[in-house]
Amino acid sequence: MTDTMIELKELTKIYPGTDVPAVESLTMDIPRGEIVVFVGPSGCGKTTSLKMINRIIEPTSGQIILDGEDVTDVDPDLLRRRIGYVIQQIGLFPHIRIGDNVATVPNLLGWDKERTRARVDELLDIVGLDPDIYRERYPKELSGGQRQRIGVARALAADPPVLLMDEPFGAIDPITRTRLQNEFLRLQDELQKTIVFVTHDIDEAIKMGDRIAILEQKSIPAQFATPEEILTAPANEFVEDFVGAGATLKRLKLTRIREIDIVGDCLTGSITEDKTTLRRKLDDSDWTALLLLDEEHRPIRWLRAPDFRQDRPVDQMGLPAVAFVEPNATLSDALEEMLIGSAGVAIVIDSRGKFQGLLDIDTIINSIQLMRDKSAEFYRAEKLIDPAEVAG
Amino acid sequence: MADTDLASTSAAADQGSGGRRDDQRSPIGAFVHYFGMPIFLALVLLALYLWIQGQDLGVVEERNLRLDRLLAITRAHVELTIYSSVIVLLLAIPLGIIATRPKAKNIAPAIIGLGNAGQAIPSLGLLGLIFYVARTTDLLPSTGAVPAVIALVAYSFLPILRNTMVGLQQVDAFVLEAGRGMGMSNARVLRKLELPLAVPVILAGIRTALVLNVGTATIVFLTGGDGLGRVIFSGFQLQRTTVLVTGSVLVAVLALLIDHIAGVIEDVLTPKGL
Repeated sequence: MTDTMIELKELTKIYPGTDVPAVESLTMDIPRGEIVVFVGPSGCGKTTSLKMINRIIEPTSGQIILDGEDVTDVDPDLLRRRIGYVIQQIGLFPHIRIGDNVATVPNLLGWDKERTRARVDELLDIVGLDPDIYRERYPKELSGGQRQRIGVARALAADPPVLLMDEPFGAIDPITRTRLQNEFLRLQDELQKTIVFVTHDIDEAIKMGDRIAILEQKSIPAQFATPEEILTAPANEFVEDFVGAGATLKRLKLTRIREIDIVGDCLTGSITEDKTTLRRKLDDSDWTALLLLDEEHRPIRWLRAPDFRQDRPVDQMGLPAVAFVEPNATLSDALEEMLIGSAGVAIVIDSRGKFQGLLDIDTIINSIQLMRDKSAEFYRAEKLIDPAEVAG
Repeated sequence: MADTDLASTSAAADQGSGGRRDDQRSPIGAFVHYFGMPIFLALVLLALYLWIQGQDLGVVEERNLRLDRLLAITRAHVELTIYSSVIVLLLAIPLGIIATRPKAKNIAPAIIGLGNAGQAIPSLGLLGLIFYVARTTDLLPSTGAVPAVIALVAYSFLPILRNTMVGLQQVDAFVLEAGRGMGMSNARVLRKLELPLAVPVILAGIRTALVLNVGTATIVFLTGGDGLGRVIFSGFQLQRTTVLVTGSVLVAVLALLIDHIAGVIEDVLTPKGL
């Protein structure tokens, strides 16, 4: 049994003056410490569902259980101080300095000045903004990305166990968005908050979610599963359509390099060795090229047999090594590096730049093949149940 | 002279705010912004004084243009303006707040209707009606400043009410949602977010009301109150141009000065960061 942090039971919202519910009988268990993403087409009720959790929108019926406690009827103001809240528009208080914006919830909770001040500085540090520079500034003096960081810091101020995020990176340019997403995932690795995250962007959902709820109209879950399951085994046509073309490519974003076998025993040489030794190494091996490493074991150049005819120092022969990736990177990142560097292989290095191994394009193709086989198996299983369809 | 007194008050107000905006305006720009109007008005008054000195004044003029009399009348005019403005503030701002609360949706049109009526009825006509009511009932005195203050309050009610409402309504809904979402109570959202963010618009309404009241206060002499209207009217009645011009220039200078002071106060009270 998984440890459930938020339990939604038969949650329904019917707006006054309408007959059709915006959210109909949503039941869902949200596990502790995970990011659950609500994703769906606009108007599907995903935001309404999110906002019922902290009762910014009061449910018409149903129950909300937070960490085992029924909070459906508790004082909403007190409830909200226990739940971090980030919205797309951020909603920083324009007339209040950044530091005091972040201190909003601590002030509501009556923390003393020292503690609040220390916490504000800590949070500004965490989100990568120097407290001494930004504490006394006003929101209008910040860029969009910086404001969103402050929005996150403000939501984390009183260290709430739960965070609700409504398209938090939706209004930010793509480059900054990617950076903020990565920063936030790194932060979440440490914080282990329970997060409900709303987006309309399936790619963002796949990237951010430990689990994804794909919602149809009236917030009815079409599938509630891990990103891997959703990509390889979509529950129905709606999910398939929503995930869209390129599910395989998206799947590449889910596989990390450290999860697959890389070539570790390839031919390397050290810059400390002389030209003749290197030449003999290459001639004696089955490899067409040798990867030259520096004293720190960092890859610097590719050397092939004809390069040794040139009368140059070893570290200027051949071609510079390109397409570096870390084991934490995804296959999609590796593929991109290869394409950018026009290289057939990506060089895997650790965080200090030390050589770990090679990842060639065949390995990635095999990995894709494997996914397709799995997925094909899934569909074959479907068809065997209904032989008529196979005949048709 | 009346002017020196008032000019120095405005200079004091200016100094209070002089340093704040230095980062946004060049020193010369700031000086012109804060002192240009007072200096211009002082020059106008000086010109008026010199012009009067050059006139051949008769007994009537001498009596009407005595400095202590002009001072007393100007002072009465200012007091009337301020009293009526304070009363209207105390009425219109709370009503404006009430009218924008979701719970008071039903009474909002009534409040706005009241404000509209107050401004639509010409103040002179309103003063007549108040005078009539005062005469036929014993509810209020029919002479002096009281009927006039009522007329002024009714007349300047709308700008402050409307600006309070608009000011509160223009506050970014997402700022309020963020506040609510972090657990601020409705009262706290009003106090800490809505009102501070509505201040610039509310102040603009107060400024409008003050200027309206300076002008409308010229009619109080009709019910026997004091004010610069008396000087102007005497000038008309007695066909004394000097008296007429003096009263008219004084009321114009007063209106411009009050507008300027209100503008400076707007600068000072507008929250930083907006």
